[in-house]
Amino acid sequence: MTTIQNHSDTQLPYQNQYPSTQADAFHGAGSSDIDELIQGNPKLWRGCDMAGQSMHGRSTGFTQLDAILPGRGWPEKGLMEIITPHWGMGELQLLIPLMRSIVEQGKWILWISPPYLLYAPALVQAGINTDQVLVVKLDTSCKDALWSMEKALQTENCGLVLAWQNWLPTKVLRRLQLAAETGDTLGVLFKHHDSEHSPSPIRLKIQDSYSENAGFNESEVTVIKARGNFRSLSANINLYQQA
Amino acid sequence: MKDPDSEAQLPLPCIAPESGAQIIPLPARPKNLAKQWLSKTATDEVRAKPIAKRSKSKNLWYALYLPQLRELDPAQQKKYLDQLAGHMQSVSSTVSFHPQALICEIRSSLKYFSGIDVIHKNLQKLIEKQLQQWNLAGDIFYAASPTVSGSLLLARSGNNILVYRQENLRSALGQLSTDVLDLNKEQRRRLLNMGIRHLRDIWRLPSDGLRKRFGSNFVNQLNMALGKAAEPTHNYIPPPAFVASYDLPYEIENLDRLLPIADELLAQLCDFLRRRDLSTSSLVLSLFHEKRDSTEINIGLRMASRSQQHLTLLLETHFDRLSIPAPVVAIKIEVKKFDAFFAKSDSLLKDEASGSASYSDSNLNQFMEQLQARLGENHVKSVNSTTQHCPEHASLQLDYKENPNRGGRAAISTEVSANPRPLWLLQEPKQLNINKGRLFYRKPITIVSGPERIETHWWSGIDVCRDYYVAREHSGSRLWIYREKSGQRNWFLHGFFA
Repeated sequence: MTTIQNHSDTQLPYQNQYPSTQADAFHGAGSSDIDELIQGNPKLWRGCDMAGQSMHGRSTGFTQLDAILPGRGWPEKGLMEIITPHWGMGELQLLIPLMRSIVEQGKWILWISPPYLLYAPALVQAGINTDQVLVVKLDTSCKDALWSMEKALQTENCGLVLAWQNWLPTKVLRRLQLAAETGDTLGVLFKHHDSEHSPSPIRLKIQDSYSENAGFNESEVTVIKARGNFRSLSANINLYQQA
Repeated sequence: MKDPDSEAQLPLPCIAPESGAQIIPLPARPKNLAKQWLSKTATDEVRAKPIAKRSKSKNLWYALYLPQLRELDPAQQKKYLDQLAGHMQSVSSTVSFHPQALICEIRSSLKYFSGIDVIHKNLQKLIEKQLQQWNLAGDIFYAASPTVSGSLLLARSGNNILVYRQENLRSALGQLSTDVLDLNKEQRRRLLNMGIRHLRDIWRLPSDGLRKRFGSNFVNQLNMALGKAAEPTHNYIPPPAFVASYDLPYEIENLDRLLPIADELLAQLCDFLRRRDLSTSSLVLSLFHEKRDSTEINIGLRMASRSQQHLTLLLETHFDRLSIPAPVVAIKIEVKKFDAFFAKSDSLLKDEASGSASYSDSNLNQFMEQLQARLGENHVKSVNSTTQHCPEHASLQLDYKENPNRGGRAAISTEVSANPRPLWLLQEPKQLNINKGRLFYRKPITIVSGPERIETHWWSGIDVCRDYYVAREHSGSRLWIYREKSGQRNWFLHGFFA
């Protein structure tokens, strides 16, 4: 309903200015104004190529990844899943630009039981203020970790909540998603295995790369699912830009 | 003028009509209103006079003068007087502080204690015992009279006089030497030169002359002593204390069912705090069990609060992870620490509030308290980088609480090495295998950059001498590996660039 409404809204003022057909205006051929109008509206979904998607997300900092994500970036709130075969495959590098922007907003980043010690000098190098980083220790029980995650997602002061939980039931995921929406927070779950029917709006996978080439710098990131995308897309990204 | 303290000194409401001499009864009939009104007030005035006089002299002030406190420093004096005032509260509801002296109103308790002698004996026993505890001389001076200053002067003279009636006060005070007055050296000298040795000599002098020569304070002091001027008192206010308990009608095992009762007690607490304009940052909730030690829950708050909602939330969190050894038979809440209450003021401009200031600390503090209540104090850590050169010590995880002025510590720095550092460090470096001449972790490893030599900690005995490399595993992950420069020259994995 809203989509149709928006179509007519955006088109009406331009009808006199551009006496071309409606279809022409819709594809934005030769009119950047219309493009901007259409792309600036997060409620408007267009069933065409991803490249033409609107820009209402928070840029990931990687242009190739922006291109394949709906909204041209991370969502403002909600739950994400990042799947890697092992820990430490560049999944944090993927989030560094996001963390930086969240810290700049004055919000906090909570790490819930990360598998290894979080190393402060690296955070400082990445330009993340460690004053706004909190860690919940590894030996926290799963129940407590989930409880903290839910509470943190509900708190507006937390901008990003990272958690390492391999297997979570759908019910829990839904609950976390709901908490993230109430708190306007982004939650990221790191997992080893993909679960096909997970309700999280975004699922990414960082692939194992078997390249023998020593100079290989790019990792393959696949968007398995993203609310708004209708097929999985992948991109090769140089995750270690600084390193 | 009505004594402002007279209301405070009337513990029983039945005395109220007596003191209300000013109350003019309304005319019974509306007829001849003006006339009646006039006549009423006229008769009232006649009647009011003796009553007013009586109400003036209704107070009897018992003064206790402790010259031995004079040698102590003011802070100590105040502490001692505070404690003594606590004792004096057993005989009177109004205790006033004066230099080295305490004065309490005892007329209202005369009947209860059946006479001033009993009151005096009670007090003497208590105070002598207390003085003995403090190793102070046990002599106390006391006097009682209808005015505060009068009693103080009488007590200072050391004659231990009791003056019941205000009419006799003038002659009683007149016998005192001028030494009892609070005078400076110059005033004392001047009095001496004028040939004035006793207060009665002062009575004879004209008051405006005295006012000119000795200042109005001097005259006021004497007027107050005679009951001619209002006397301010510095009343003792007992320190706040809050203990509320509830005996359950039956044993409760389920903590969820205990929550509404605890909530009720917290409501009482918050009400108390609001009335005293206080907040609390530490309280203890005790759950009592039959034939067992009680379970105590310490609730500490990062920021003092008096919000019932917040306290209930914290309590709920504590209850969540609490297991009780036996059913609960009673519950008690005690406040350990009171804090002044600071209201949060809104900003004048609306825009300011919607900026980054809205992510204020109070919200976060509440969240952190909840987190710590549930997970335990030392489970939430802040991450800090230090100036240490050794990789293991360059990152410090501190308890969130330990670091109240965040970023203000000397050891914590924002300067780090320009060389790449991994986001994740292994707790213990992991030795890498060499397989067919290649380094091997989960998959073969290729070195990307390096070496970076780190040599440090030779003074501690655990010599650190390593060459660090950035390496890439075949799966795609970046590793931080090092080789020992001494001993076995083994390769170790130390971190992930993740």
